[in-house]
Amino acid sequence: MGDFLTLGHGSGGRLTNDLVRRITSVFPAPETPSAFEDCAYLPDGYAMTLDGFTVSPRVFPGGDIGKLSICGSVNDLAVRGVRPEWIAMGLILEEGIAEEEVIGYMRSAALVCKELGITLTCGDTKVVPHGAADGVFITTCATGRRETARNLGMHALRPGDHLILSRSYGRHGATIAAQRFDLDVPGLASDCAPLWEPARALLDIGGLRCMRDCTRGGTGTVLCEWAEGAGVGIEIREDDLPRDPDVLSVCDILGFDPLYLACEGCMIVAVSAEDADTVLSRLAQFAPCSGAADIGVVTEGHPGLVGMRTHIGGHRVVDMPVGEILPRIC
Amino acid sequence: MTHPPAPEAIIRALREYSPRSLNIMEVCGTHTVSAFRSGVRSVLPEGYRLISGPGCPVCVTSQGQIDGAVALADVPDAIVLTYGDMLRVPGSNGSLADARARGRDVRVVTSAMEAPDIALASPGRQVVFLAAGFETTAPATAAMLSEAAGRGLRNLSILCLHKRTPPAVRALLEDAALGIDALILPGHVCVILGHAPFLFISEQYERPCVIAGFSAESMLLGVLDLTIQRARGETALHSVYPDAVKSEGNRKATELMDRAFVPCDSVWRGLGKISSSGMRLAPSLKDFDAELRFGVSPGEPPEPRGCRCGDVLRGRITPPECPLFRTTCTPAAPVGPCMVSSEGTCGAYFRFYKGGTVAWEIS
Ligand code: SF4
Repeated sequence: MGDFLTLGHGSGGRLTNDLVRRITSVFPAPETPSAFEDCAYLPDGYAMTLDGFTVSPRVFPGGDIGKLSICGSVNDLAVRGVRPEWIAMGLILEEGIAEEEVIGYMRSAALVCKELGITLTCGDTKVVPHGAADGVFITTCATGRRETARNLGMHALRPGDHLILSRSYGRHGATIAAQRFDLDVPGLASDCAPLWEPARALLDIGGLRCMRDCTRGGTGTVLCEWAEGAGVGIEIREDDLPRDPDVLSVCDILGFDPLYLACEGCMIVAVSAEDADTVLSRLAQFAPCSGAADIGVVTEGHPGLVGMRTHIGGHRVVDMPVGEILPRIC
Repeated sequence: MTHPPAPEAIIRALREYSPRSLNIMEVCGTHTVSAFRSGVRSVLPEGYRLISGPGCPVCVTSQGQIDGAVALADVPDAIVLTYGDMLRVPGSNGSLADARARGRDVRVVTSAMEAPDIALASPGRQVVFLAAGFETTAPATAAMLSEAAGRGLRNLSILCLHKRTPPAVRALLEDAALGIDALILPGHVCVILGHAPFLFISEQYERPCVIAGFSAESMLLGVLDLTIQRARGETALHSVYPDAVKSEGNRKATELMDRAFVPCDSVWRGLGKISSSGMRLAPSLKDFDAELRFGVSPGEPPEPRGCRCGDVLRGRITPPECPLFRTTCTPAAPVGPCMVSSEGTCGAYFRFYKGGTVAWEIS
C-alpha cells in the first residue's frame, strides 16, 4: 500500500523528509549553497523561502491562519540571518466561505507585515469548488536580504557548542490539539510570533553557529536533523528544558511527547560555549524569548544521535518521529 | 496521597538490595512508554530487567479485527471513528490510514462520547465507533451506548474490540517457560477493577506484584517494593499508586461494563486466543453491534511471517532479537503490531534504543 500518500507524509518527521528527497531528486540541484533547505541564499545577498499553510481550526488562541502564514515564512528567513522585506501570497479559497472571514485573516497577516516593515508585493487568488479545498489554504513566499555575511547553517556545528532554546516548546501543537480534541486548557495559546527581531539581535555574536525555528515536528525533530545532517552528537538535559505546564497537561491526556509538538515562535540557537550567556541575555530582552534556556551541548560522541539526560538521572534517545502524531488510547 | 521519595533515594536503595537477577514485567503499555521516556531502565542497577508485557491495546488487536474495521470503512457512506494509534495497525488489506488515504471517512476521536454527537450531525450516514482498549476505556463505551440508546440513535454502532487484562496476565503466567519473577500492574486499570481480579498473581502463581502510577518515580518505587518483597521471600499484591485504589475498584464503572458487555474468547495478536479475555455486546445492546448490522465478520488470517511479537509480548526476547527489527520492520512500515503503537514494545525500542554504541545503552 506504499503508493498512496498518507497524512503521515505531511507530519514533518522521517516520512516527510524521505518524500521531499524523492521530489527534489527529480530536479537538477541548484548552484546556490543552501540548495533545497527551508530557506535558500540567492546571489547578491538575497534569500528566499516559501511555505504553505493549512490549519484546522483556522482561528486558535494566539493567532489565526493569516498571522501564521506570515510568521512561518518570516521565521524561515530570520533564522538564516535574513531580514524579511517582501511577501508574495497565494490564496486557495473554497467556494462558500464568507468573504469577511478571509479579509479577517488578511488583516492579521497585514498586522505582522506592518510590525516588521514587510511589503506585500504580489499574489494570486483562486476559488475552488466546494470540497476541493478545506476552507482557506495560504502559501507565502518571503524574500529579503542577508544582514550577515556568514552562512549560518548546521554545517557550522562543533562539539562543545551550546544549544539555547528560545522559550517553552510545543505550544502551537498543544493549542491546536486541544482545540481539535475539545480539551479545555484556559491558559494555553499558540506561540505564533515573528522571530526576526530576536534573531537579528544575535547576528553579531562571533560564536553564533546556526539557528532554526522549530515548526512541524517540534524541537526534537530539529535536533535530530542537526545531529544527522551535521554528523555530530547532541545531548540535552530534561531538567533544563523550559517546559510549560499547560502543554504538559495536554500531552498527558493525549499521550504526546512535547518534544515533537509544533512550535511557531520558538527557535533553537547553537553557539560556542563562550558566547552562550550573551545569547541568553540578548534573547531575554524580547518578550517571546523571555523563557530562553541553555538546554544542552553538541558532542563528539554518538554522532547522528540525540540523547537526553532525564529528570531521574537516566538517559534516553530522542528520535525523529515517524508519521502523523496520534493520540493514544487510555 | 503519599509523596514518592526523590528518585535518587530510591535508586540508592535499589543498589543496596541489588538482587542477582530480577525480571519484572510491566503489564501496561503506558508504563513501557514512560519507562523509555524517563530513562528508568538506564538507572536500574545491574541484575534488573524490565520486560514489556501485552498491555498495549492497539498492539494486541488482531489482524482479523483490523480487517473488520477496514471492511466497515468501505461500507458506502460509513463514518468510522477510531482512537488515534489504531490508524496505522496493518491488517491483511492495509490499515485504516490506508483506507483514509483511499478516500474513506475515518476520523480520529479521543473519547467514545464524541460518537453520539457525530451520529446526530450525520443523518443518513452510518457511524461506527471502533471500541478498543482495556478496562480503562470500556466503561466510556458502555456509558456512550446507554446514552445512544436513550437518544434512540439508529445510525450508530460499535465494533467491540475491548479486552480484559486479568485473563491475559493469567494466560502469560500459565506459560511455564515464562521468565518473569514479578509484575508491575497499571494503576488506572486497578482503580477501575480493584485489587481482587489480580490477587491470583500473588496467591496462585506466587509472584510479587505492585500497582504503580505512570511517573518514573512511581515506577521506581514499584521496582523497590518488588525488590523488598523478593528479598523477604514474600509474594503479595502491594500498591504504590498515588491515588487510592479501592479493593473493590470503581463500582459504577464496573457495573456499567457488566451491563453492556459479556465476556467472550478473544484473539490477542502474538498470544493467540485467550478464553474470556474479550468483551462482546450484551444481548440487550445487540442492535449496536456493527458486525451484525453490516454482516462483517472477517476470519483470522495468519500472522505476518517472521514476526516474533508473540515472543516479545511474553518477554522471551527483546525486540532487537527479532530478525525483522529495524530491517524490514520499522514504524514507517510496521510488520507486526508491536511496532505500530507509540506504546508497542518494538516501537518504543525503535525510538529509544540505538544498540550498544551509545552511552545510554539499555539492557
Ligand atoms: S520487530 Fe516487528 S516483526 Fe519483529 S516482533 Fe517486533 S513488530 Fe514483530
